Amino acid sequence: MALDAGHNLVHEFLEKSSKNYPDKIALIQNDDRVTYSQINNQSNRLAYWLITQEVQRERIALLFENSLEYVAGYYGALKAGAVVSSISTDIKPQGLEYLLQQLEPKVLISSFRFERVLKASNLQDTSLKALVIKKPRLDWSSEDLSAFTWDEIISEQDSENPSLPIEDSELASIVFTSGSTGKPKGVMLSHENIVSNTHSICQSLCITKNDIQMVVLPFFYVMGLSLLNTHFSVGGTVVINNKFAFPATVIKQMVEECVTAFSGVPSSYAYLLHRSPLADYREELKSLRYCSQAGGHMSRSVKEELLRILPENANIHIMYGATEASARLTCLEAEQYKDKMDSIGKPIPEVTIKILNEKAKQVELGQVGELVGSGPNIMQGYWNDEKASARVLDENGYHTGDLGYQDDEGYLYLVGRKDSLLKVGGHRINPQEIEDSLMETKLVLEVVVLGVPDELLGHRLIALVTPIGEGVNPNKILEKCTARLPRYKVPSKIILVKVIPKSTSGKFDRIKCLAFIKD
Amino acid sequence: MSDVKKQVRSFVVENFLFGNDEGLKNDMSFLDEGIIDSTGILELVNFLEEEFSISVDDEELVPENLDSIDNVASYLERKRT
Repeated sequence: MALDAGHNLVHEFLEKSSKNYPDKIALIQNDDRVTYSQINNQSNRLAYWLITQEVQRERIALLFENSLEYVAGYYGALKAGAVVSSISTDIKPQGLEYLLQQLEPKVLISSFRFERVLKASNLQDTSLKALVIKKPRLDWSSEDLSAFTWDEIISEQDSENPSLPIEDSELASIVFTSGSTGKPKGVMLSHENIVSNTHSICQSLCITKNDIQMVVLPFFYVMGLSLLNTHFSVGGTVVINNKFAFPATVIKQMVEECVTAFSGVPSSYAYLLHRSPLADYREELKSLRYCSQAGGHMSRSVKEELLRILPENANIHIMYGATEASARLTCLEAEQYKDKMDSIGKPIPEVTIKILNEKAKQVELGQVGELVGSGPNIMQGYWNDEKASARVLDENGYHTGDLGYQDDEGYLYLVGRKDSLLKVGGHRINPQEIEDSLMETKLVLEVVVLGVPDELLGHRLIALVTPIGEGVNPNKILEKCTARLPRYKVPSKIILVKVIPKSTSGKFDRIKCLAFIKD
Repeated sequence: MSDVKKQVRSFVVENFLFGNDEGLKNDMSFLDEGIIDSTGILELVNFLEEEFSISVDDEELVPENLDSIDNVASYLERKRT
């Protein structure tokens, strides 16, 4: 699909919707309802101030929870011609210092919520020239760094669109991936990458200006950010709710605001099903058009349960993506949800996926290989890391590291990660298969299977499990498990926990999980 | 301040505020003030269950019980009587 003329830069999503629907509500958070023109004005004011800081083609770090200021900061930085890097809100001082050294941003924009992290970090030895804080509570006057309050730089500035000459091939964003091992890598995305992926997602999910999206995923995570960009590109509305720890509050707001779409990672759905009153609200969620899931494999038992509990008007879309692909690569259309429940669907518009063997040759239908994606959404590479870029990018596209196959109707299926196969005794074991079997026992809300190094076996399998209900114990689970799995695939130990350690984006944090086992 | 309140407060300060309790009031909303995020609330629940030998039911996962030091302290009091 050809991109709309004059609509090839990410911030033009906001500018176009502000022109077409100036008084339409773009964003709802708690009691605040903000229109497109209000957000565009605020972004413009920030952009003009940033321009005075000479940030064009420089990096700006954004450390903000989901909020109006995040949205204004994100689009404002892009309008000023800068490259935005959103930082995980659960960052610790050491991690922040590392990211700032890598990124070398000129300006950091944040809020009072992160002042303690900022104070505990050494900001003097970084490239930062200015710090902007929304409603600061601590004293910054003695710092060498120039510190400004959000409110002082937003007021009394011009509010026309700055319309700087920016090419769509220029970098728009650097997104640091959590990475299951090693240091985080900065994924470089151009305006074209993000704009094309945004259009493809809108097409796949038929997103229109009538859509009202509930957002519980953080915007620093590409899946969360894609919810913002898709809805702003068509003039829809996003409802920000940062209280998913209390899922009942989210469901109530979905009813009150007549939300049409909800998006989550597997753990979001596990919590909605088992720790929230979702079933009681079935009749009231009349506006809910669809739920979309991405961010990892969701077990069949959760998918079946969702189908049973969600109202009939709500379709379910399973999606697959990667930060390196701007956000999404595939989508399973709702009509196929029942028949192809284990599939991640087909590539979304403009994306091609090949399944390659180790010699970079396409495998036969049904054979397992690595998924390699190509299209205008594939990243430019990793920031300051040519070696890592060369390992995953080549003439075939982006090597996802995910193993999968395609059926004779073109539907794709994932079987696991290339690097997560565990050697136990003489066997190569895919933890995902064991996690699925544990979920099928219906005694388990969430599970992660880990390989703990073992001198004799190579690895020992240990499962961290969140049980459903009171009377569940490890023996009960093991008993059901042995009936489903060969002996060597049964975990040697099951540890019951209330919560499996996760990152803010809701994915399992395997490093914390391993530390938990060691304790 | 009651012992329970002190214990909860020190858990929050140590685990979420890098040991710095400047400006932390016992009636501040954890989520609204960004003291703890959504995943942190679940860590808090783990702590309460282990430290005070209680079980937090799913229906009890509401801000009124868990979204400030004061709320947690009165919730614990109710649970233990």
